[in-house]
Amino acid sequence: MKSALKILAFCLSMGTVSGALLVGINAWTSVRINKYEEMQLKSSVLDALEIPYAENNVIDVFKANVNVIEKDKRTIYKGKDDAVAFEFKGSGVWGEIYGIISLNPDLVTIRNVKIIHQEETPGLGSRIADKEYLNLFKDKLIFPELVFVPAGKAKEDNEVDIITGATYSSKALEKILNRSISDFMELMKQ
Amino acid sequence: MAEGKDIKQSNWFKVLTMGMWADHPTFCMVLGICSALAITNRMDNALAMSAGVTFCLVFSSLFVSLLRNVIPARVRMLAYMTIIATLVICTDRFLKAFFPPISKAMGPYVGLIITNCIIMGRAEAFAIKNKTWLSVLDAFGCGVGYSFILILMALVREPMGFGTLLGQRIMPQTWSNWVIFTIAPGAFFLLGVYIWILRTLAKKTE
Repeated sequence: MKSALKILAFCLSMGTVSGALLVGINAWTSVRINKYEEMQLKSSVLDALEIPYAENNVIDVFKANVNVIEKDKRTIYKGKDDAVAFEFKGSGVWGEIYGIISLNPDLVTIRNVKIIHQEETPGLGSRIADKEYLNLFKDKLIFPELVFVPAGKAKEDNEVDIITGATYSSKALEKILNRSISDFMELMKQ
Repeated sequence: MAEGKDIKQSNWFKVLTMGMWADHPTFCMVLGICSALAITNRMDNALAMSAGVTFCLVFSSLFVSLLRNVIPARVRMLAYMTIIATLVICTDRFLKAFFPPISKAMGPYVGLIITNCIIMGRAEAFAIKNKTWLSVLDAFGCGVGYSFILILMALVREPMGFGTLLGQRIMPQTWSNWVIFTIAPGAFFLLGVYIWILRTLAKKTE
């Protein structure tokens, strides 16, 4: 009986101490972590809209230059020149692909695609996040929809190359981008 | 008196260096394999992970050893798990808040330090029955030994798989990346080769 009580007392005190420690650390670090994530999102939007900024004034530049529109639980970021940017999110081959796509003021051509998070195969699928690859999207037409074709064969204005050896990751990106673009078009119609 | 001191000194030195060679966690006891495979494709990740594991090893052994007379024998696994998990979660949050790029690069593997068998292994094999100072030394020695193998693996994987070391390009422009070294199967083969080489060497010196 005594040993059982000892065990119970030990477990209770161990649980309380570690619980308290974790709550404390969480409170201490939450502010910084949330701030960092906010900065990540805002700097990605600024990059997509091609608005220049310095590392220490992301929040201010964002506030001054970007208009945040919330519609139907979706967020649209509008720059001063009427370029728009919005998030795209979906499943890649291994994990989530998440990023920001921006459209020129004509709302039919792409200005930039930025990938914030992806878990694709390093060296192959992960090349969808490379600058050289994302540059291929500049000024591409989004109507009727983006079509990914085998590498080197992109001819029309709405065709983009697939990365050789990363077919599934490229196809996943194609699906995610087209879906978020059509969602955005739906929103614009309302 | 002098003799007693001599015995104590050689004792702590032996404890410290056991984990670095004779009783190496990875190539002798084959522990800590998952992170050795996952995190060593780049040198900066390997260094960060080495620091993380050594830190968690030292402090968990410290706390287990401090509490060794208080932990009831029947719940010692529970105690190790609680101590290790709390420590690792604190480390993870700390990295996320103060070094976000490193935290992002290491991803879920910081949390997986909890499952690293070395930490629980040292707690059960050493820290629970030995004095605090010796437990800390043992943990530190194992941490250093583990870091050693992580660095050895990253030294091969990053240059051959990406052509860089710590982000700086070191291979000639004509080098074609051996992508297999950037993913787990290549690491597995490499680890096998290292275990073979190091175990052969260890037998030679015994």
